[in-house]
Amino acid sequence: MSPGERGLTVRGLTVADSTGTAIVDGLDLRIAPGEVVALVGPSGAGKTTVLRAVLGALQEGLSRTAGRVEWHGSPVRAPRRWRRRNVGFLGQDPASALHPLLDARAAVEEALPGAARRAGAAERALAGVGLDPADIGRRRPHQLSGGQAQRVALARALAANPELLVLDEPTSALDGAALDLALELVRRRRGDGRSLTLLVSHDMGVVSELADHVVRLGVRPRDRQDRGRNGATGRRPGGAPVPVARARDAGRPPNIDSAPPPEEPGVVRPSGAALAVRGLAVAQPPGGAPLLAGVDLHLAPGGSVAVLGPSGCGKSTLLRALAGLHPVESGNVTVLGEALPWAVAERDPAALRALALVGQDPLDALNPARRVATAVARPLRTLRGLTRSAARAEALRLLAAVGLEPGLGRRYPGALSGGQRRRVALARALAGGPALLLADEITAALDPRTADLILDLIDGLRRDTGLAVLMVTHDTAVAARADRVLHIAGRRPHPTSFRDDERRRSVDAP
Amino acid sequence: MTVVRRSGVLILAAATGAVLLAALGGEALTGGDPVRTATTSWAGPAPGLPLGADGLGRDVLARVLAGGRDLTLISLAAAGTATLLGVAGGLWTGWSRGRSARAVAASADLLLALPLLLVALLAVVAVPGPAAVIVGTVLGGTPLTLRVVADATAGAGRTGYVEAALSRGERAPAVLLREVLPAHAALVGADFGQRLVLAVQLTAALNVLGFGPPPPAPDWAAMLRENLQGLGLNPAAAIAPALALTVLSGAVAALSHALSSRGGGS
Repeated sequence: MSPGERGLTVRGLTVADSTGTAIVDGLDLRIAPGEVVALVGPSGAGKTTVLRAVLGALQEGLSRTAGRVEWHGSPVRAPRRWRRRNVGFLGQDPASALHPLLDARAAVEEALPGAARRAGAAERALAGVGLDPADIGRRRPHQLSGGQAQRVALARALAANPELLVLDEPTSALDGAALDLALELVRRRRGDGRSLTLLVSHDMGVVSELADHVVRLGVRPRDRQDRGRNGATGRRPGGAPVPVARARDAGRPPNIDSAPPPEEPGVVRPSGAALAVRGLAVAQPPGGAPLLAGVDLHLAPGGSVAVLGPSGCGKSTLLRALAGLHPVESGNVTVLGEALPWAVAERDPAALRALALVGQDPLDALNPARRVATAVARPLRTLRGLTRSAARAEALRLLAAVGLEPGLGRRYPGALSGGQRRRVALARALAGGPALLLADEITAALDPRTADLILDLIDGLRRDTGLAVLMVTHDTAVAARADRVLHIAGRRPHPTSFRDDERRRSVDAP
Repeated sequence: MTVVRRSGVLILAAATGAVLLAALGGEALTGGDPVRTATTSWAGPAPGLPLGADGLGRDVLARVLAGGRDLTLISLAAAGTATLLGVAGGLWTGWSRGRSARAVAASADLLLALPLLLVALLAVVAVPGPAAVIVGTVLGGTPLTLRVVADATAGAGRTGYVEAALSRGERAPAVLLREVLPAHAALVGADFGQRLVLAVQLTAALNVLGFGPPPPAPDWAAMLRENLQGLGLNPAAAIAPALALTVLSGAVAALSHALSSRGGGS
């Protein structure tokens, strides 16, 4: 490689944490103009850390101990100025990265150079990612869904047409149509002889579609041991269970759910349905325009329902309303046959224990001041009444069940990757021994292998304890494991045909 | 760089602790009697009297070492009271959206409009000096703490970890004390430093005006006033207590700054 070569060159990049343990060890990377390079590897392998090290913006506690980053042949000296001029960045948690007081249009405009701010460039950038500038452009981050926020952040990263575009899981919250738009935007940069793109993704479809080269991050020896152990003890069910009720559900007209579905054979039912919802209406913002109306849902113990739909259609809000965290306009809900009040503060301990939510945003899911094992042990003590030592041992067992090594229990959330945090949040949700798990994009930041481990764990719990699962996803692999797939359209969920090919199509073209 | 910053905070904390300890227990470090007349008026530095003597011929070093204890104790008490009230009020007003919480937040904002020194002067006429410092610091500092903590609490109310705590049935006090407060501990620590600096300044100001301990008790602020007249004869007599006040405030302010920039990062 001659020193005068154009593009981004990373040589021998080594990043260590404060104890001197190498997170990234001797990484070499080369992106020529017009190329797209994808960075792949298991959860916790240091993909985000590599991006941040390349950008010269490592998080607290990490430092670059060796290696160099060269831009067009010369080392990057003033990273801040270099980033401002040449780089567009899309982080892993776009909802948290957008400024809470700036609306979507202003957020995109901020990234534009002064001369380009007029003439509706921000509006065009928003329209380019499939968002209506007149409506979405005026919303602030808390009024956006996960997928909308991700697209605003993508529009922001692309607005100034940066020479180097760095994308960290740019598609984790996107539905099919939005995904196609996003892929098209990145594809346009390929082969133009100027633009460089560095991409982190777990979605092999995205990677194979876009990348010229794939850089695979190794697993650190410590993790490798851990995975071996999990592989030995992990559950391996032979594919998704196929309950009898599925075919009938698919044939039933939408929302005329007058009779509960027939009992599934072979499953011990506690009492009645795990979840029954009637006439649920939710508004966003509360009291404003209705987002969902007349929603009827029925979920048997051990059952699993996947909810799909375009971003912003109210999937996450549906889960939050069921968890008692979003105000409900009308409707009623029963869990295990008991009628529940909507607000979480009015629910009795048994009801609180029966329901568990894993939220969409892993960044603020965990308290930054609490160690991971403490966070998981807390519900074991409050909901299940375990002693301190028993709760601690059980917490470590749960962390191992979601594929996290015991040493991680002593860490603070700040020292975990996005995928690791999401798994801790799942362990914490399962700690109370819920009858119904409300899971919002739980596999979004996970590599396929870890995602399988998580989904196998959940399937195992469905079989053994009758755990019912209502999951929001855009991932076909996740939806394929569900008994039923609901598709939200026109403010209410509709059953989707259970046959595999049709389900695929409904995911890809909402 | 971040490792450097973290150890920097530790070093600053140790240094500030040492300064506070010296201010509180400095009297034990010297055998000198702070109130005994040792030599002639305004005598310069001499063997046994490294900082010379003041207008009444008393050992300046002994008086500087002894003169910080009451001032520091009063300031710590005042800052502690102000922070405690501010944190409690901030947690409550940030969490509850009720009418009374809003009324408390609004009246705290009103308090900020009052001129602090005037309030302190009014208080010092009504109550003894130390109580006046506490009243002044609470009136002038608590509203600031309350605002900062209320904002942080309102923000934390929408986070996943608070929602998870609510979903397992934790009551509001448990959520606030177990989740919200630990997550913002650095912020509260930094804020306490700011209140301590305010309290030190207020104590010094009142003592300079003569509301401090009655003579001949040593006190940095009173020494500053008494020894200014002898500045030409023994400059150390006025400079040493001024320096002591500056080091105390400066160390606390630096630690507070380091804490707040760290709290922002996590």
